Amino acid sequence: MSKRNTAPLRSPGINTVQINAAREMHAQTVRARRMPVPTGSITASSMTAPAAAAAAAAAAAAATATAMPPRHICNNPNNPPCVSCGSVIIPSPRATLPLEDNPSISINDWTISSKKKPILNSQELDVWETEKLKGLTLPEMIFGNNYIRIENPRLDWSIEFNALDALKNVQLQDSGIRVAYSNDWINSKRKQTTSGPGTAQRFSNDVNADSLNIIHKYDWTYTTRYRGTENSPESRFQRDNDQTLPLDKLAVHDKILFYDDMILFEDELADNGISILNVKIRVMNERLLLLSRFFLRVDDVLVRVHDTRLYVEFDENRVIRESKEYEGKYQDVLAKHRLSQSHDPKAALRDSNWVAQNTPMVRRECETIQF
Amino acid sequence: MELDECLERLYKAQLLPEVTVRALCFKLKEMLVKESNVIHIQTPVTVVGDMHGQFHDMLEIFQIGGPVPDTNYLFLGDYVDRGLYSVETIMLLIVLKLRYPSRIHLLRGNHESRQITQSYGFYTECLNKYGGNSRVWQYLTDIFDYLVLCCIIDDEIFCVHGGLSPNVQTIDQIKIIDRFREIPHDGAMADLVWSDPEENNNPTLDHPDSSGQHFQVSPRGAGYTFGRSVVEKFLQMNDMNRIYRAHQLCNEGYQIYFDGLVTTVWSAPNYCYRCGNKASILELYSKDQFYFNVFEEAPENKLLKENSLNSNYMEENTTNPVVNRKLIADYFEDDSASTDGSADPEMYMFSDVYQARSASNRHVDYFL
Repeated sequence: MSKRNTAPLRSPGINTVQINAAREMHAQTVRARRMPVPTGSITASSMTAPAAAAAAAAAAAAATATAMPPRHICNNPNNPPCVSCGSVIIPSPRATLPLEDNPSISINDWTISSKKKPILNSQELDVWETEKLKGLTLPEMIFGNNYIRIENPRLDWSIEFNALDALKNVQLQDSGIRVAYSNDWINSKRKQTTSGPGTAQRFSNDVNADSLNIIHKYDWTYTTRYRGTENSPESRFQRDNDQTLPLDKLAVHDKILFYDDMILFEDELADNGISILNVKIRVMNERLLLLSRFFLRVDDVLVRVHDTRLYVEFDENRVIRESKEYEGKYQDVLAKHRLSQSHDPKAALRDSNWVAQNTPMVRRECETIQF
Repeated sequence: MELDECLERLYKAQLLPEVTVRALCFKLKEMLVKESNVIHIQTPVTVVGDMHGQFHDMLEIFQIGGPVPDTNYLFLGDYVDRGLYSVETIMLLIVLKLRYPSRIHLLRGNHESRQITQSYGFYTECLNKYGGNSRVWQYLTDIFDYLVLCCIIDDEIFCVHGGLSPNVQTIDQIKIIDRFREIPHDGAMADLVWSDPEENNNPTLDHPDSSGQHFQVSPRGAGYTFGRSVVEKFLQMNDMNRIYRAHQLCNEGYQIYFDGLVTTVWSAPNYCYRCGNKASILELYSKDQFYFNVFEEAPENKLLKENSLNSNYMEENTTNPVVNRKLIADYFEDDSASTDGSADPEMYMFSDVYQARSASNRHVDYFL
């Protein structure tokens, strides 16, 4: 263990890390995450990336040899040790220095990867605002370099969840939704602009005659029906609303081999609620489940949840995608929580799980691909 | 309890007893009630933007910017909500203000409000940390009503939390606002803490004239954005040079509008512990010399957050502030230990031990 190379100025201090120490730390971080040399049978999954591909065949062989074969391959040596070494593969929780983590795992022909980076910087935002998403005032926080990708090269199919495509789905027209006090606000302004000659003149300079009308039209709630981006121009999904997710299989606590949870974009609606798109994934030995959730709460107005669940059964090469939309009036949902006599009812309305469970479903669709 | 003793505790992120909070709030109210809506101060001063309960980042600011009272500070508001340590943050600022009234100035932000804090975490945090009763929240939100709205530095730099209002042409119009109240939904007081500048890069074809130059209603149906001509007119009319404000997240820690007429200062790095953004404080040496001191998240944040996730104290431990206090104390002990070279390897976040432990502790969820 190297000693901490720090120069505390005052106590309790926050330490500055110097370059050499940072390099050392980086090396240590990588080392700490590398899997320990296995003492028993060697499997492909205990190897690092370059070796892993070559050893894929060996993994297949090993799969037949043992009862509970670790058949997956960790594609990124920076990942924490994989299941065969006894722990879960989760990407680095750190969004910044020193590593850019791009963890990935392969099972059969399926490869799942993810990436987490900080919010877009101002140059990136400029490009998004003026080129990629013209006409949309962007949400405050865009994790535009984040993604979760599921691909199967042999079947020539992939699906990815990212912020850009999700935001392309946001309507460039008035959503009709207004914050709770909008009427009062607009009316009081109308009164002011028409009340007396003095005030009227005072306002006319800065506030255009029609400026109480909203000029810039876009859906400020950032409501999106995004269900992921496929690699093919034509979707390969077949609509089949009778299908359901195999909850029995998903309820089993199979060991999670790969897990990630990330935000794609978020806006605080100028403190009138929240609009957030979150994607998370868990990969088990035989299947995976991805949940993309758009959660909208406009305080004192409405709540809305758009869930898209993507399920892949690896051995059957079968994909199910189920989308559910929940929507309800804020007061109705809040009333359900009041029944519980909590001191802090609004806390529940910050919890998208609770909201989804307590809000009526207004739409459901299901699609499948059987390769 | 002596103020210095309070400070000592607060710097260690320990909570003060409810009676002490009440007494401190009372004293501060007496002090603030005498202040005008608009205070005048002189350089040198360091301007700090939104903190949002990121207590360890505020300590970091006192590290890089210099401690109070060696450095003068102007805080632009939004001390509470969203972060996990709103109570500690606002209490430290309150006691500093009482102890060094001329060295630190606190403006009101839109989160210094009863209504907003009930939705964005401060209320919940007060309940959690003070045994489920809301009196501390009441004392603190009462104080918010007394915070001043604007500050003018060297007679030519205008500082406010949000921005301009169509109801405000002159500084005198701000001075006559009755500020001792909850922030209303409309009117000058609301606009000062809520409005945002909007740079008109690509004027819409339908409205090529001046829509982006003036005040515009937000598509949300309430609140204004203000354009360049509004700013120019305000500055000219009041014989001022530029505006500093906070209120909006920016990845680089600050954001310049209208060629420097308006600048946003943002001081909460890795906002909400997940944005990965930088933060800055603005050091004004004289009216023309300044420096944006940009910084990143304090390393304590990550450790504390992981621990709070593990113990789930935000969710479940609603009656026991001791756990929270203990956690923080642990880290400060660790920190002081490291200064004499005997850091506990378990707490060394890049150590193999720490990595392995944190990997096994990482949150996975059998979501459906």
